[in-house]
Amino acid sequence: MENAGPTWPAAPAGQTGPAAPAGPVGSADTAAPERPGPVWRFLIQPRWLGWHLLMAVTFWGMLWLGDWQLHRALAGNGLSWAYTFEWPLFAGFAVVFWAKTIKDEFRIKRDGPQGTLGGPSDSDDLPISVRPVQVSVGTAEDDEDEELSAYNAYLARLNAEVKRHGRWHGLRS
Amino acid sequence: MNAAVLRYRVMAYVTGVVLVVLCFVGIPLQVAGHPAVANNVGVVHGILYIIYLVSAWILSRKLGLATKPTAIMLLAGTIPIMTFVVERWVTRRFINPALAAQPQPAQPVRP
Repeated sequence: MENAGPTWPAAPAGQTGPAAPAGPVGSADTAAPERPGPVWRFLIQPRWLGWHLLMAVTFWGMLWLGDWQLHRALAGNGLSWAYTFEWPLFAGFAVVFWAKTIKDEFRIKRDGPQGTLGGPSDSDDLPISVRPVQVSVGTAEDDEDEELSAYNAYLARLNAEVKRHGRWHGLRS
Repeated sequence: MNAAVLRYRVMAYVTGVVLVVLCFVGIPLQVAGHPAVANNVGVVHGILYIIYLVSAWILSRKLGLATKPTAIMLLAGTIPIMTFVVERWVTRRFINPALAAQPQPAQPVRP
């Protein structure tokens, strides 16, 4: 359950990273070229391959269920019409979920665990937000850590959101 | 933020109640030979669950949640009682800290 530890140059810093995002570590962070490979490399890690497989099975399974309901509906079961359209919707949602997760992961890897300084993060939303929480996925089982990083994530995200045009602009209260 | 939380909560409870009705009223009736409740409530739950998915997803994006809690939130809508449990968990662990950290000026001026 290690979470892409080897991909980061200063992996242990990831654990405590969120607490000091803009600290003096920032300068050291900019010099992080000793990355083992291209960013997308994490996608072919066994853990991620498992996710891709699960994703594919889920997607096709849902489409298959939709098809099954379509046949039932055509056979005269009126209730099946609702499910005929629901299952493909769920399948689409699964794909969105999967794509978003990967996109977040890319952003985390690109920005590095501590990259809070302007630059690339200006162009995209929620660059810092997902990071600290994501770091703790699968690694930190205890509540304290997760809670703390969730809180730090929120602070960072808030900071980022205030500064730029948010994605959920219309929904913000 | 507040709107997303409210939307999520409403959908969690509505979806949860409908699913409880489906599982603990509809299914026994269906087994007893009266499938009408299960059929209709089933379709209603299906539609509500889509709305629940979207609202939970939006909230999870706003909170910046990781994949695991997000998946738990989304899947809770398919398991009876779970929406209530997960809603409480999400509130305690993610929503409350987030709201507590919200700066005062972000509060809308009420007419």
